[in-house]
Amino acid sequence: MSVQIVPDLKENMNQFEMLFSDCADIKKRKIKVGQKLERECFIAYIEVAISNVDWKDSAVGKLLQTLRELPEEELVSYVEKNVDDISDSQPFETIEDAAQGMLTGDALFFLDGYAKALKIPDKGYPGRGVYETESEKVIRGSNEGFSESIKLNTALIRKRLRSPHVKVKESFAGRRTNTNVDLVYMKDLIHPGMLEEIEKRLGEFEIDGALDSGIIEQLTEKRKYSPFPQFQTTQRPDRAAMAVLEGRIVLLSDNSPVALILPATYNTFIQTSDDYYSRWEIASFTRMLRYLASFLAMTFPGLYLAMANFHTQILPTDLLLSLAAARQGVPFPAAVEIVLMEVAFELLREAGVRLPGANGNTIGIVGGLIIGQAAVDANIVSPIVVIVVALTALCSFAVPNEEFATAFRILKFAFIFLCGSMGFFGFLIGMLGILIHLSHLESFGIPYLSPFVGADLNGYRDERDTFLRLPLDFLKKRPIYTRDGARTRLKLKHQGKDQ
Amino acid sequence: MFADNWKISLRQVRRLLILDIFGLSSLQLPGLLSSMTGADGLFSLLLGMAGGGLMLWLIQKNIQNIEGSYYQYMKDAVGQLAGDIFMMFYYLYFITLSGFVLYQAAVLALTWLLPEGSYVWVSILLLFLAGYGTIRGIEGRARVYEIIFWFLGIPLLVMLVLSLAEVHADYWAPVFYSSGLDILKGGVDYWIFLLPLTAILFLKPFCKKSEKIASCGRAALFSVTILNAAIYLILLGVFGTNTMGVLKRPIITLMSMVNLPGGFFTRQDVIMVSVWFFALFALMHTGVFQSTLILKELFHESGSRISMCISLALAFVAGMGFFANSFLAEVYGIYQKWIVLPGMAVILLAAPFAHRARLRVKREKGGEEK
Repeated sequence: MSVQIVPDLKENMNQFEMLFSDCADIKKRKIKVGQKLERECFIAYIEVAISNVDWKDSAVGKLLQTLRELPEEELVSYVEKNVDDISDSQPFETIEDAAQGMLTGDALFFLDGYAKALKIPDKGYPGRGVYETESEKVIRGSNEGFSESIKLNTALIRKRLRSPHVKVKESFAGRRTNTNVDLVYMKDLIHPGMLEEIEKRLGEFEIDGALDSGIIEQLTEKRKYSPFPQFQTTQRPDRAAMAVLEGRIVLLSDNSPVALILPATYNTFIQTSDDYYSRWEIASFTRMLRYLASFLAMTFPGLYLAMANFHTQILPTDLLLSLAAARQGVPFPAAVEIVLMEVAFELLREAGVRLPGANGNTIGIVGGLIIGQAAVDANIVSPIVVIVVALTALCSFAVPNEEFATAFRILKFAFIFLCGSMGFFGFLIGMLGILIHLSHLESFGIPYLSPFVGADLNGYRDERDTFLRLPLDFLKKRPIYTRDGARTRLKLKHQGKDQ
Repeated sequence: MFADNWKISLRQVRRLLILDIFGLSSLQLPGLLSSMTGADGLFSLLLGMAGGGLMLWLIQKNIQNIEGSYYQYMKDAVGQLAGDIFMMFYYLYFITLSGFVLYQAAVLALTWLLPEGSYVWVSILLLFLAGYGTIRGIEGRARVYEIIFWFLGIPLLVMLVLSLAEVHADYWAPVFYSSGLDILKGGVDYWIFLLPLTAILFLKPFCKKSEKIASCGRAALFSVTILNAAIYLILLGVFGTNTMGVLKRPIITLMSMVNLPGGFFTRQDVIMVSVWFFALFALMHTGVFQSTLILKELFHESGSRISMCISLALAFVAGMGFFANSFLAEVYGIYQKWIVLPGMAVILLAAPFAHRARLRVKREKGGEEK
């Protein structure tokens, strides 16, 4: 039941005090206004969210200053008439709504005789500002990264897409956290069905707290038991802007520097921003490398086991002999060696992530060089296994999206088991299983393996931006995510003429 | 929105059909033809293709009349009872086909990849994957084969080109040496390998441009026949008639002989077996999928889990039968030649005639009423 704000300031203050009792971080100030300083007003705000130092220069300070210059009887009518002129203020009629407004990081203003509360924005909650992104590094292109402030993040996208067609639809998630969730999209490019679908999914759950976009991602995914993510994640505003230009939707969640992009496909996870900033030959080459890396990150240790244990006839005799010589003195079967080294590597990775910056690097050196070398010297593992595990790790690092790479890291163990027990037959069974799974997987109605499958949906044009990133001249049309009739991305004014 | 509409594209149908008829035919046909017709096997291939073309023409005649599902069309054309009997005929064909191909795929895996493995476990694993693929519908199934098509096709073409160096053209002679009857028998054998093309009849409701679906069958027939002819000539040129007649799967033996430039891999047979493994799996999966579809319609099941489980169990039993008793494989050959082939011809002929007769009766009745 909401409590209505009344003209009696004391009543309002009591209700507000009751609501925020034992909240030391919330500052409540009673201030006298009017020429004779006979009328009272009440200001409430979260301690660090409102500037204390520059109080007089803030919107609240300026309002108070104005109110002190006016006669008492004109104060209410002044506030009523000028409510729209006071910065980005917003009036509330109930105590609960007003409280919610204050919790977004703004100041709340009550005036005796005025039956509303005004939310007056200020600097808001403390945030990091715009920093260089830690992941998704690029050789060419912007280095700006998203931060924890949703407003800042939307502004970073808007900065790149200065079009009135860019829409930001606001909603809230989390019963107790009331987290701001924004859907950013290009109105004339998106499939209306896609927007409806994500809004429907956002409305399908009620959780007490949505502290990060990861929670929203998991709650809105359709195939929850798949290791493959169905949202693309990014910390790069340029990547997000590029997605919006392709008719995709970017979901931003307050307090999270990770934006979700929908729909997502295998191909979009392999793409990076600088694929489009670099020349097509380089972009295509690195794209193919990444595809290969995603395959080997999952299968390389398994394939080694299949060859070393089951199908030695494939390898030339010299190589086979050197493999056998390398394994001499190692007491474990090859499968155990691989599992030992893979687990050790995953431990090193986890330790590296959890430790503070400089220590994390040290762990990499200690683990990779010292422990690896010691394990080989002590005949616990063979040097070839160290090479296999290191190459697999390199491959998993080459996959540009961390969440996507994690799927391969997990599946790698399944392949180790399958190939370790059934050789190349296990590999084929595993590949078939993965293929069937990926063929069924969809992200917001788009096949996960698109455009390798279902390419007919967009006249086979999307295939020009897969293994190869053809020259930009060839990518005149937007991908399948864009609505029909709005797929032209590039028009060449001097087509067919030498420049 | 875009997907999940139980519709597949013509490209997907084409690739599916190519894989379906390529796997088993390229694996078994060269050995069969070479012992029967020698270098004249090519004529058998052409004859078989003509038979397949005739079958596709009849399929096209049927497809023109199908508005809903094939079962519905059959019921409308020949009546409920005959429709049910015809569907049971198809069911038996597809379920025994999936059992036979399961047996072939499992034996292939056990021979070349897992010599110490258990037949039961290998076939259970394959059926589990077929079930997993079936349960999610036709779209997922079509996508699997759409994506692996070139991953299998390119290495195969490369290996075939590399093997040309081993070909002795004089092994292609003598021509016109076999009797016409042997060539005809070979042609019928190839025609039998083309029977999975009848799956087109069941695919029409799932295809986006369904009026063109028969063209996929024609494309599959031509491309597989060309590929089989090329493989046959290469195998004949490498092994000669006598040796090839003795080899069980000469194409895989050939793969073990071809040397890749650079010599990193000494033998590619283990890797190349995957081409036939995937192709056989595709055909087995087709058998399971079609039989599930037929059973579902016959028993008006709302989902497809029960029909699928029954079909998988029957395919397993059939596969076990072929594995346990090689005589059953011979019986299966006779069943295909003397029951399935003529039976299908009868069904494909009867349905359009009956449909036309019904339409005429309806038109006449309408005229009388007027």
